[in-house]
Order: sequence, then structure tokens, then C-alpha cells
Amino acid sequence: MNALQTAWRQALETAQKTGRRAVRMAQTTGRRAAEAAKTTGRHAVVKRAKRLASAAFHYLVLLSLSYVFLFPLFYMLSKSMMQTWDVADATVQWIPKKLDFANYAAAFRALNYWQGFANSVIEAVGSGLLQMVSCAIVGYGFARYRFPGHGLFLSLVVFTFLVPPQSIVVPLFIFFSDLGWIDTHLPFMVPSLFGHGLKGALFVLIFIQFFRRMPGVLEEAARIDGAGALRTFWAIMFPLARPAMLVVFLFSFVWHWNDIFEPSLYLRVPTYYNLAQRMAVFFGDANLAMQQMAMQTSADVIGVAPTTMNQMMAAMVLTVLPILLVYLVLQRYFVESVERTGIAGE
Amino acid sequence: MRRFRLSMRVRHYLEGYGFVSLWIIGFFLFMAVPLGRSLYFSFHKLTMSQHGLVATYVGGDHYRAAFVTDVHFLPLLRDTMVTMLTNVPLILVFSMFSALLLNRRAVGRILFRGIFFLPVIIASGAVLRKLLELGAGQLPIFRDYDLFNLLRRFIPGQVLLPLLEFADSLTLVMWDAGVQTLIFLAGLQTISPQLYEAARCDGATAWESFWKITFPMILPMVFVNVLYSLVNSFTKTDNRVMDHILNVVFRNNDFGYGSAIGWMYFLLIAVVLGLVFALFRKSLANVEGRGGA
Repeated sequence: MNALQTAWRQALETAQKTGRRAVRMAQTTGRRAAEAAKTTGRHAVVKRAKRLASAAFHYLVLLSLSYVFLFPLFYMLSKSMMQTWDVADATVQWIPKKLDFANYAAAFRALNYWQGFANSVIEAVGSGLLQMVSCAIVGYGFARYRFPGHGLFLSLVVFTFLVPPQSIVVPLFIFFSDLGWIDTHLPFMVPSLFGHGLKGALFVLIFIQFFRRMPGVLEEAARIDGAGALRTFWAIMFPLARPAMLVVFLFSFVWHWNDIFEPSLYLRVPTYYNLAQRMAVFFGDANLAMQQMAMQTSADVIGVAPTTMNQMMAAMVLTVLPILLVYLVLQRYFVESVERTGIAGE
Repeated sequence: MRRFRLSMRVRHYLEGYGFVSLWIIGFFLFMAVPLGRSLYFSFHKLTMSQHGLVATYVGGDHYRAAFVTDVHFLPLLRDTMVTMLTNVPLILVFSMFSALLLNRRAVGRILFRGIFFLPVIIASGAVLRKLLELGAGQLPIFRDYDLFNLLRRFIPGQVLLPLLEFADSLTLVMWDAGVQTLIFLAGLQTISPQLYEAARCDGATAWESFWKITFPMILPMVFVNVLYSLVNSFTKTDNRVMDHILNVVFRNNDFGYGSAIGWMYFLLIAVVLGLVFALFRKSLANVEGRGGA
């Protein structure tokens, strides 16, 4: 009996103990859970603050780099608008006192703008379009066909990209002058027609990369429907290559527009000069005038020379303006295209 | 009329040649033949006469003259090499950096991309060069706002001025990096986000995932960019060796000597590019090996 009672009491005590322990455990876990909830809350706040700080930093870097890229543009625009009095005025930093296009008028006349513009357009648009089409054809051939000598010719494309133009400039010049092509636009057009010309090999490589990524099913379908090789290319693949064409055309257009090396070789009569050449000539003249003035008088220089500089800036704005406008229009498509073109290789 | 029949394979070859022939003809006309002729010229003295150009053989005289007589050639060559060695790595680092920046999802990304690719549009030629001559390349932030004098208090002038010059040349580097940024950005877009997700699940930090994922994945683009930057820095319009060759050819009318230094320059470039190829072949092969294992 006694033994039974003690056993019972013991059982009761253990039960109570476990119960109490259970309660205590429940309490602690609850408290711990609450604490954990609190800490995770704090953690989330820290995390969000971190993300915010990193975003702010990200924008700070982006903005400061944008400043580096935009600064020359704004500098050019601002200086081109300034007149003599603005230059002399110390309070004028960026925005001139009065809207005056006198510099532009002078630069416009000095460049003989429309003539230069026409030359630049013929050269840049003409070569750009020709390169776009011819490089697409060649790139398609390399990307879709395997023939004896494929590897050899492909390495020749890379080789062409690597050869600096100045090492073949002499024979090319003699070649073109034998043909009587000096002072025409043919030295730019004809190489472009053959997929060469300014960085032609690079454009061929871009098209090869692009066509390689295209699915072959479309062509097979066209072939089964009885289209020949040319028709398949022209009706199916060429229209699909629009992103690559946009990239190639824009590059070719801009590089031809800004190019001064080849035009200064093949166009030797001022009437045929493109805008970039005219600008260089104008700069040379203006620099000379500035030097002479500096030698002759010292009083006038302060007033006159800076305006010459401002006219030079105006000439620069006039030269860059057309490509800037084209870029503004095409910018969005351009960046998207670059991503789809696979310009990066594989 | 019986139709002329070709086997499938021959037809495939012919069609391929049909597309490529355009370029091959161009290659002979505008690359192979001029290259050969310029090699021929470099061993000859060319004189104008009423029959056109007359070539007389002079052997290696032009090549010797470049090292012995010409006072400009070697210094210019050295300058070009030095600028190349300093600028190309900087361009690569900077373009990688800005590509990573632009690749991040953020509001106004399109706008920033538009701004970052401005150099591609404007910088490729005479315009930028003139802008720099007129002082637009120097950021006024160091000169205005008294920052210069403020910095001078802490840093001695002998150190500060070269530093500022370096900062100015850095803006040039940034302007040169447009196309490279474009290539890196396009490369970054091809990396699957799943890789980063998996790395994050395994507890990798951003730093680790850059070096273990981004960098190896983008190594081919690094190679492309090294090639592009090298070729670009050798053939840019403001390259002084290029100017020198033009002067020799078109001011002095010395076609033979111009061809000779053109060839030497080309050989030098070939050596540099060969080194790059050798360097990258090993590391590119490594990446592939790792992917296969």
C-alpha cells in the first residue's frame, strides 16, 4: 500500500514536472519565436536599407559617368552660342546672355555646309547601305554553307580585320588613281559593294554571328516549298536580319561620317570634301588666323580669338548634329538590336 | 533540253561559293593585291616619270633607313606601344565596369544606355580630337570649385599634377570604351540568371559569383575586346605612326619608304596580336575544359 502510494506520488510528481517543463518549454519557444520575429523584422529593414544604399550608389556612379560623356556635348553647345561679350564676361559660365546664332552663320558659310553635307550623305549613306547588303550576303554564305576552303576564307576575314589600313594605303591609292577614281565617291562605294571598305570585315563577322544563331527550320521549309538558294536568302533570311542590319548600318554610317583618313586621300578637291574634312580645314585656317593675330596685335586678341574658337565649336556642332539626330531616332532600336545580334560572339 | 544535273553536295558548295565569292573577289582586289604590291614597293625606289611610276630595286635600304636615318619613326613607335599598353587594360576594365552597371535592372536604364553609347557615335574620328584640343576633354571639376587648391593642401604639386593629367587621360579612355562596353553588355545578357540563383542558394557572395560565374562566362568577350581595342588603338586616326606614314607618302611622295614602314608597323601589330592569341588560347581552352568536366 505504502509502496503503491509512493509510486503514485512519484508518478504524479513526474507528470507535474513534465507538465511544468512543457509549459516552460512552450513559453520559451514562444518567447524565442517572438524574438526571432523581431530580429527578422530588423533584418528586413537592414536589408532594405542596404538595397536602397546600393541603388543610390548605383545611380550616383551612373550619373557621374553620364556627366563625363555628356560634358563635351554641353560644352560644345554652350561655347558655340557664346559671343565676344559672353567670353569677356566672367559671370557667364554656361548660358550666354543673349540667343545669337552669329557663330553658326559664320561656321555655316566657312564650311559651305550644304555641299559638304551632300558629300557626307552620299558617302556615309551610300557606303553604309552597300556594306549592309553585301556583308549580309557574305555573312550568310559563311554561316550557312560548308565548302572546301571555308576555314581558310574565314581566317582571311579575320586577317582583313587585323591589317591596318595604312600598310596598304599606297598601292590602293595608285590603284584608284590608275582607274581615275580620285575625286569621286567610287573609292568608298566599290569596296563597300564587295563587303570591304571601312571595317567591312568586322561587319561580315557580325552577320556571321547573327545568321549562325537563326534556326534552320525556316530555310528548310522554304527549300521544301521549292525556293532556290537566292530566293530563300532574299525572301526569308534577309528580312529577318533586321537587327543585325540596323547595327551594321548605324556603325558604318557613323564611321564613314566621321572618317577623315580615307577621304583625305581620295578626295583632294575642296568641292568634294565631306563635312569632317571641311571642319578640319576650317580648324586649320582658324588656328592659323589666331596665331597671326597673336603675333600682330595683342589688344584685339582677347576679343577676337575666343570668337574664332566659338565659331570652331559651332562648326563642330554642325558636323555632329546629323549623326546625333540619327542616333536619337535609332537609339532605342540600336541598343535592343545589339543584344539580339549576338555581336559578342560565342 | 536536258537539264544539267549536279549532285546535292556540289550544289551546296556552289551555292556557298556564290554567296562568299563577292567577298573573295573584293579580298583580292582590295586586300591581297595591294598588300603584295606594298611589299614589292617597300624594296624599291619609286620615281614619277612620264610613263607613270618607275621602280628600281634598292633591297633592304628602306628598312635600314627606318632605324638609321629616320629620327621620328622609332620614338613614334615607342609612344604608340606605350599608349597601347596603358590604355588597353584601362579600356577593358572600364568597359567591363560600365557594362556591369548598365546590365543591372534599374529605372532609366534605356536612357543611361543611350548616354553611354554616345562615344560610339561621336568619338570615332576628327570631332573628338578637336574637342580635346580645345579643352573639352578636361573635366572642369578639378579646376573649378577650388578643388585643385584644396587638394594641394594635402598632396604636393609634383604628385598632384601628374595625377590630374592621368584623370584627364582617363576621360579619353572612357570615350574610347564605347564599342567594348557594347560587346560586354551583349555578352552579359547571354549568361543565364539560373547560374546566379544557384550560386546564391549555395551562399556565394556577389564578389564570388562575379569571379566564378560572370568572369569565366565573359572571357570570350574579353578576348574579342582585347583584339578590338588593340586593332583600334593601332589604326585610330589620332595614331601618330599613321600620321607619320601619311606624311612620308603624301608630303614627301616617298611611296617606297612609306610602304616599308607600313609593313614594319604591320609586322609589329601581328606580333602583338600573336601574343594575345597565344595567351588567350590557353585560358579559353581552360574554360572549355572546366565546362566539360
